[in-house]
Amino acid sequence: MNPDIKHDSVGTHAADSIQVLMVGLGDETFALDAGFVREIIDPVPATRVAGARAFLPSVINVRGNVIPLADLRIRFGMQVEADSADTRIVVIEIDIGGDPVLVGVIADKVYEVTEISRANVQQTPRVGMHWRPEFIRFITKWREEFVIIPNMERILS
Amino acid sequence: MTAVDPVEVFRQEASELFEALEIALLDLIDRPDDHDLVDSAFRALHTIKGSGAMFGFVQVAAFTHEFETAFDLVRKGEVKPTGDLISVALTAKDYIRGLIEAPETMDSIIGDAILDDLRRLVDPARAAKPLAAAPAVEQPSASGAGWQLHLEFESHILRNGSNPLDYLDDLRSLGSCFVVAVVDDVPTLDELEPEYCYLKWDVTLSSACSRAAVEDVFMFVRDEMQLRIDPITADRVETPPKAAAVAPEPAREARPDLQLDLLPKSETATKESGDTSTSEKKRDDGRRPDDRQIATVRIPAQRLDELMDRVGELVIAQARLSQLAAAGDDLSIKMIAEEIERLAASLRDTTMGARMVPIGSLFSRFRRLVHDLSRDLGKPVEFVTSGEDTELDKTMIECLADPLVHLIRNAIDHGIEDTARRTAAGKTEQGRIELTATHSGAQVLVTVSDNGGGLDTARIRAKAEDQGLIAPGAVMSDQDIHQFLFHPGFSTAQTVSALSGRGVGMDVVKRTIENMRGSIDLATVPGQGASVTLRLPLTLAIIEGLLIRVDEGHYIIPLSAVEECVELTAADERSRGRNFLNVRGDLVPFLRLRDLFGTPGSPERHQKTIIISTGDTRVGLVADQIIGNHQTVIKSLSKLHSDVTMFSGATILGDGSAALILDIAQLVALAQSQSEKQQNRAA
Repeated sequence: MNPDIKHDSVGTHAADSIQVLMVGLGDETFALDAGFVREIIDPVPATRVAGARAFLPSVINVRGNVIPLADLRIRFGMQVEADSADTRIVVIEIDIGGDPVLVGVIADKVYEVTEISRANVQQTPRVGMHWRPEFIRFITKWREEFVIIPNMERILS
Repeated sequence: MTAVDPVEVFRQEASELFEALEIALLDLIDRPDDHDLVDSAFRALHTIKGSGAMFGFVQVAAFTHEFETAFDLVRKGEVKPTGDLISVALTAKDYIRGLIEAPETMDSIIGDAILDDLRRLVDPARAAKPLAAAPAVEQPSASGAGWQLHLEFESHILRNGSNPLDYLDDLRSLGSCFVVAVVDDVPTLDELEPEYCYLKWDVTLSSACSRAAVEDVFMFVRDEMQLRIDPITADRVETPPKAAAVAPEPAREARPDLQLDLLPKSETATKESGDTSTSEKKRDDGRRPDDRQIATVRIPAQRLDELMDRVGELVIAQARLSQLAAAGDDLSIKMIAEEIERLAASLRDTTMGARMVPIGSLFSRFRRLVHDLSRDLGKPVEFVTSGEDTELDKTMIECLADPLVHLIRNAIDHGIEDTARRTAAGKTEQGRIELTATHSGAQVLVTVSDNGGGLDTARIRAKAEDQGLIAPGAVMSDQDIHQFLFHPGFSTAQTVSALSGRGVGMDVVKRTIENMRGSIDLATVPGQGASVTLRLPLTLAIIEGLLIRVDEGHYIIPLSAVEECVELTAADERSRGRNFLNVRGDLVPFLRLRDLFGTPGSPERHQKTIIISTGDTRVGLVADQIIGNHQTVIKSLSKLHSDVTMFSGATILGDGSAALILDIAQLVALAQSQSEKQQNRAA
């Protein structure tokens, strides 16, 4: 939706701010680029796909389209909690091999859409992260808290 | 809706005309005496020329005109359509096509060379001079006084977008004209067709121009008019006929005029019947198919796809409604649900019907391929097609083109032996390739067969051993050995030709067909030929499926693959080590879907087995429950799930949840490898 934001490398528009959707996964807070987000839906019955990769365990029906449901908690090696009243599915559109692909992402909690400034961008630390560095676009500060802007394309493919 | 680009419409139309032209030309090879074929080729050429000129493809019109002139000799029966002539004509056709599709890339030198060839073949004597100019008298008219012209256009000339008045204007640019409209044929008002041109003209052109210059004015309408050009000789400078109304400006079309009513009716009638009898009627016969086409509409394929998507969604929504209605006890809702179910089903059938295209349009493309290949390889080949009327989903027809090209190339290059070997084997010199399409239940079978040497099983085996695909001396059935042909990078051709032998191809063919949920059968008789049969589903969008349940999950098995359903007997159930089922004396291997899907828990009682088959192999799938028939709207799996092998797609069930469609080919392959393992263990 917003190619400017999508293709910017960190630092070229340091003063720019981007709109993000704040979601909670386990104890961590992530910021998903709002430009990718198509909709946020309540959990729907998922169909397990035998033989698929562990972090893409099932498919769901979203408005007549059968799309994969990704569980990032499995991808990041986090504890998988049972669905709660706060659990939502965030439907995002990412680019895989030049084609737009819809995918649902399970979120333990969805907070709000907000603007974060790129001025506060922090270099991804080499140590002290249980995340693979290529999964992270950048880390920034939001309300005195560090939030991770993940690189969804890398994470899902 | 945006306005349609007329040039684009012309391009589309032209491409259809080219197809018709090619078919006619290729048919002429077999039936050189068939006048209808010559006529239909001529008609195609003529339309290309006419509309080409109308849309500003001047080069196309000029070239086609020359082509047409040469071909006219064939039409008149003065020249026989030989194989050489057809080859040149095909090249000429390609050139015109190039002129229309990518004019900037075409070099007029090529065009000139083609025309030279064409002229040399149709008329060796006159080859030196351009044909169009050949009969023309280049020098000015004898006296230099000018020309006396009589113009008679065919009555429908206005419909083609030609305006006779424009030609008169063009004539005026050559010199001063005295134009007289001949109104003898204008009928009475009640008989007058407003779109017809009834007027004729007599023109006295005072100019020293050549006859060719006068003829050039009528270049593009020459075949839809009668043109008489006489030089004005000194003694023939006469006044125009008095009976006719004198018109200093040509009258604007055929306006009904009281004056015209006075003309005796009988005269009009006799004139018309006399003039139009033979030649006119013949042309009309040729045009009739065009009139019929009004009943068809050209629709962009994309719009049909969208329609199909919407119908798919409707079918899903309808299934939910039916489920809801069945659960409640409101009779009126039930009636509406039934009504909608009926309507949705018929809408689905109609939409699917609209996407069905006869496969013949695809077959005709290959005739050119066979013609060219047989010439290049020096192997005379007879190409026979049948079942052109068989209808297939249009997307599949597009997907089938490349695989069939591969198969036909293979058949000619590898299958058909050269003439010497054929003669030695006591066969006819001419090889034979058959391309057939037939319906078989919910499947369409497309077969390419040749009467060549057949598959060389020993050589395929040697090659497979060479490449380390099988252990030397391993026991394998011929059929299994033939399957190596589909292995990537596998080629038995000793030399790599431009056409085949690189080992790419058959694996691509197999993948393409499997992507369409089809399968490939190979059959061969050593020394007598081979045949490849493609089994394809009728459509890609919606299939009849069998809905089954494994634990909590619902799955769809394409109904076309289902042979029968049997209960898993207690004996079969107990024998854990032996995964074979006894179906009326035949041993059928089976797969427990629960194991396959890694479902936790123990199987339910009374397990059901669904026997599926592809080709000759049968496999049983063990499920917890068979729910029943399900109209399955196929949704492809996401790219992110491209690593999933057991499922070919997904669909949406009545309750809105997604269900996966089992990939039959993969499951059968899996079952076979498992049973082989078991056999090896047992041995």
